[in-house]
Amino acid sequence: MAVFATHFRFAALPAACLAMCLGADVASAQQSAVPDVAKQAERSGQSPNLRGVPVPPIAAGAEKLPISRFKLPPGFKVEVWQSGIAGARTMLLGPKGTMFVGTQGIGRVYAIVTKNGKHEVKTMAQGLNMPNGLAMKDGALIVVANKNVYRFDNIEDNLDNPKHVDISEKFNLPGDRPHGWRYVAFGPDGKLYIPVGAPCNICEPNYATHSHIARYDADGSNMEIVAKGVRNSVGFDWNPITKELWFTDNGRDWAGNDQPEDEFNRLPKGKEGAFFGFPYCHAMGIPDPDIKHADACKDVVLPAVTTGPHSASLGVHWYTGDMFPAEYKNVAFIARRGSWNRDKKFNSDLAIVRVEDNGTGKATVTPFMTGLLDEQKNEHLARLVLPYQMPDGSLLVSDEQNGAIYRITYNKDAAGAGKN
Amino acid sequence: MKPLTTMLTRKTLRAVVTVALLLVAIPAAQAQSAPSAERLELCSSCHGAGGNSKTEKIPSIAGQPEFFLLNSLVLIREGVRNVEPMAPFMKDMKDDEIQALATYFAAQKPERTDEPIDQAQARRGAELVDPRHCTSCHTPNLTGEQTAPRIAGQRLDYLIDAITAFRDSRRTGGDPLMSEAAQGLSDADIVALANYAASK
Repeated sequence: MAVFATHFRFAALPAACLAMCLGADVASAQQSAVPDVAKQAERSGQSPNLRGVPVPPIAAGAEKLPISRFKLPPGFKVEVWQSGIAGARTMLLGPKGTMFVGTQGIGRVYAIVTKNGKHEVKTMAQGLNMPNGLAMKDGALIVVANKNVYRFDNIEDNLDNPKHVDISEKFNLPGDRPHGWRYVAFGPDGKLYIPVGAPCNICEPNYATHSHIARYDADGSNMEIVAKGVRNSVGFDWNPITKELWFTDNGRDWAGNDQPEDEFNRLPKGKEGAFFGFPYCHAMGIPDPDIKHADACKDVVLPAVTTGPHSASLGVHWYTGDMFPAEYKNVAFIARRGSWNRDKKFNSDLAIVRVEDNGTGKATVTPFMTGLLDEQKNEHLARLVLPYQMPDGSLLVSDEQNGAIYRITYNKDAAGAGKN
Repeated sequence: MKPLTTMLTRKTLRAVVTVALLLVAIPAAQAQSAPSAERLELCSSCHGAGGNSKTEKIPSIAGQPEFFLLNSLVLIREGVRNVEPMAPFMKDMKDDEIQALATYFAAQKPERTDEPIDQAQARRGAELVDPRHCTSCHTPNLTGEQTAPRIAGQRLDYLIDAITAFRDSRRTGGDPLMSEAAQGLSDADIVALANYAASK
């Protein structure tokens, strides 16, 4: 526990941050017009009292998990895979069987090892700045925490004494806190993909530093922007047939309860560097009401499908396993966590997206695991962040609200009997 | 002698009964022990008696929302929110000990800061409250709720420091939405807003 917490406390000192956090971008943002949120709310018809939905800093006890209220299609079953991991978000399974779990506000990275069929949860890193980004290559775990990038070589053999190398400098990521947590992954091209969200709800960002998805060599060199005009993507995966990148993008706040919807975007092959519209054009072609631009949606790659207003569509996983029925093969699972900026909260869920013509045609969204919102209380019972396929074809999904990971399995016989 | 019910207002009586019922309802094992006098003295040495700070740039913690206190203390323990002087004694504190501190200070009566307020600044700050939407999280009387702290009557010097840190994305462990809300504020705007909140 808290293995190098002391070290990171130094890293988090304001003095260490001053140099990078007060970079040119933050300074220029200060001179930009101050958005009048009260006016935006009045125009959007949303209650001006909407506010963030906090994540509890302490995990819910196993007995308090709302799992009995979840609903799944016939034959599917959900169970608790692990509870008691406050703020659980990103999952990554190491080749030697360690499940790494990244978080946001709580600043921890967990390592879950299985011994004699039982899980053992270790807090392998602590005190980090929103360590949501986890990736692995050649036995090394890479943790992306806001502007910091740490590499833990040979991590699975050193879980009780993890040592890291700080490789932040070469990546040179911005330190803004708004949309300052990142989902990262190595692509089929061996490059590390890192999105940087817009440092605001709505503003004109500098695409060289913000509002983009970029790819890097594992050491941070050869940065190349693959998508720009992205407001905030916190989940992506490569289609198993086309190998194209598909990413979620969260729509802006304070422009209506029902619009703009979140997006599920396809980056077509050969279109690296394409423009996805932020801040001028949202969802399926809605011009922004604050930042006006002639031909706002011209030359914008529109989403393959929209995924609901203020749904906070986050983690993506294309299912390739054999456990689920054939109709689920090459289908994308998306965790729709549910955003705060909606009077009647979005009916958050784990959804599936089917794409016609082997990943090149029309895309449709269907709820898969529901029952995550208490509609009467207008409160989320669970807030899912990432679906993650296990080697046996079962699907794990993280619940940040309760600090838990669930496991979804399929049983043909149960389906035949009409049981759930 | 008057009957008991007329001596106590009905509201007070209801509160007394509720507390009594709660005490009965909590099983002994889960009952939260109050923080020790020793620990409270440690808190008070910087945050003031009962959590009302008279110390330069140290915030008052009396009457803060319980969730805010719990969240802040956990993040300080974790080393996410960097408060150097608190780090050594927060390091090994258990969740239930933190919960007890949060419950205790949330229940203390908050006092307005005794620093001098610049009324002209406060008036200017008042005009920034609506456009900045401060009340949607901090509530209309700025007493806070959930992750948003009470800023009404908070120490002026602390407020200026804190809002500036949020604006500049230097406040690790802070709510990113607050960094968003503080975006574009000038240093003068921050002084004005801080005077307004401190004056409440």
